[in-house]
Amino acid sequence: MTRLAPDFEKTLRDAAAGDLAITTTTDAHGVSVVWCELARNTDLVAVASRLRAFEARLAMITASQPKAPEEEEDEQDEENSEAGDVMVRATPVTFGGTPLDGTSYEVIYHFILADEAVNLIAHAPANGSLASLTPLFRPADWPEREIMELYGLTFTGHPDPRRLFLDNSIEPSVFERLIPFSTLVNAASTDDLWKKVHAAAKATAIEGE
Amino acid sequence: MTNLPVTSESFTIPVGPLHVALEEPMYFRVAVDGETVTDVDINAGHVHRGIEYLATKRTLAQNMILTERICSLCSNSHPETFALAAETIAEMEVPERATYLRVVAGEVKRVASNLFNVAILAHLVGYEALFMHVMQVRELAQDLKEAVFGNRMDLGAICIGGTRYDLDEDTITALTVALDRLEPEIREIEKTYRTNGSIQRRTRGVGVLSIDDAIACGVVGPVARASGLMQDVRADAPYHAYDRLPLDVQTLPDGDVWSRAMIRLHEALDAIVILRACLRDLPDGPVNLGSDPYVPPGRAVARSEAPRGELLYYLKTCDAEEPERLKWRVPSFPNWDALTVMLNRAKVADIAIIVNSIDPCISCTER
Repeated sequence: MTRLAPDFEKTLRDAAAGDLAITTTTDAHGVSVVWCELARNTDLVAVASRLRAFEARLAMITASQPKAPEEEEDEQDEENSEAGDVMVRATPVTFGGTPLDGTSYEVIYHFILADEAVNLIAHAPANGSLASLTPLFRPADWPEREIMELYGLTFTGHPDPRRLFLDNSIEPSVFERLIPFSTLVNAASTDDLWKKVHAAAKATAIEGE
Repeated sequence: MTNLPVTSESFTIPVGPLHVALEEPMYFRVAVDGETVTDVDINAGHVHRGIEYLATKRTLAQNMILTERICSLCSNSHPETFALAAETIAEMEVPERATYLRVVAGEVKRVASNLFNVAILAHLVGYEALFMHVMQVRELAQDLKEAVFGNRMDLGAICIGGTRYDLDEDTITALTVALDRLEPEIREIEKTYRTNGSIQRRTRGVGVLSIDDAIACGVVGPVARASGLMQDVRADAPYHAYDRLPLDVQTLPDGDVWSRAMIRLHEALDAIVILRACLRDLPDGPVNLGSDPYVPPGRAVARSEAPRGELLYYLKTCDAEEPERLKWRVPSFPNWDALTVMLNRAKVADIAIIVNSIDPCISCTER
């Protein structure tokens, strides 16, 4: 039993041209969480407009690059390939068909509506784009700018797509590559600690002999 | 003053990133026309540390330690909300006693955090005696934290499945005595902020955020409630034991700097009422589910009311011990945007007071 309007689910489904996967869970305190996944990311603005009409508040946007599901038979495959047994495995896909290969993006818009959390999930392929929700929801401004500097994802139609936290001199998509700590802190840390650790390790080794 | 020629020329002045009135670095580029602010641009990123990335390289247990260090003033709220998310995924039932103990840790932090912000307001107004007095009273809360949790800022009170601390008869007595000392002091401070001329002149009608702007900006916490927006996660989406505790959520209609300070003082007093009820009703039983409970793959969102407002956590776990994604939205994050509204047409001399009135947390914002 949620505190959402009875026609909530139907309104969202009617707004979307593609399919929606909606699940709702309710905890012991009677607080519900709704997960609504879009099959087509082009439905994003239409569905978000309905949420705006319901007076939802956009609380947070999470972007991530979901890992590809574990392929358990990997080792076996390598052995088999020697014997010329070629197996073609289809790339796993999300609900809606975006390839789930570790490079595509999952963007979750966390709304608060009637005191419940409503999470709208959209997928975009690598180097893809999503429509900006900033024209609809003012609180989307900073989160979208942050995502654009952390990932190679763009929000089309963002009114002010400048860098937010990172300096312009930093190369884009910082979340998509490993940055060594010494580079991150501009080599501002000393090696004092490591000298101590090495000295201690050496002392222990000598003691052990 | 009125005899001076009025120029139509507009100037841009920098406030920050290092500024006497800002505790943490943030850069405001303020366009002024005479003494009046006409435009504000906020430039962030001076303490960006990449903690969100780091969190995906740490196990869930290690992240309990890491999240507590995102920010000092709301340090308890981070592991608290993170634990709520993990417990939702694992469908864990947190022991009754632990739900009360979590409220105790959270509300003690709220008293100290709100008093700190209100103290800084007195400092910015130039009322140094009041500033030092409020900080002295806050010291009672700091001593209380040190006595009960062993630390003044990072309490280390929360673990997945419960709490890492327990209260015995002696600590409950110490807490009760400390609360009995704190309450009359905070009442006196509240009266001062309500009636003192210096405070009133510098804060009433200053930095106004209307209820419509509050909704548009999506502000949370005392900033929202001071603009008349009835919104508090503890009441709207109860967690821990809040649905069984005497929670008194209040709003004020004016949306100015003074209202935000008064809401914070009210919430510090209400926290004491809640704390007393917790200590009175504290059920018996275990305080956690043992060490390192298993969290299966899944995802969850969790919300809590930190001293500054709604804190939101999203956790996605996979087969590995490290989370696939951990994301949080701190209460300061949406509140920054409201500053552009509050500062519009404000006086240059009021900039620091208005910025402080959202109780900004930059370590939280930039992670």
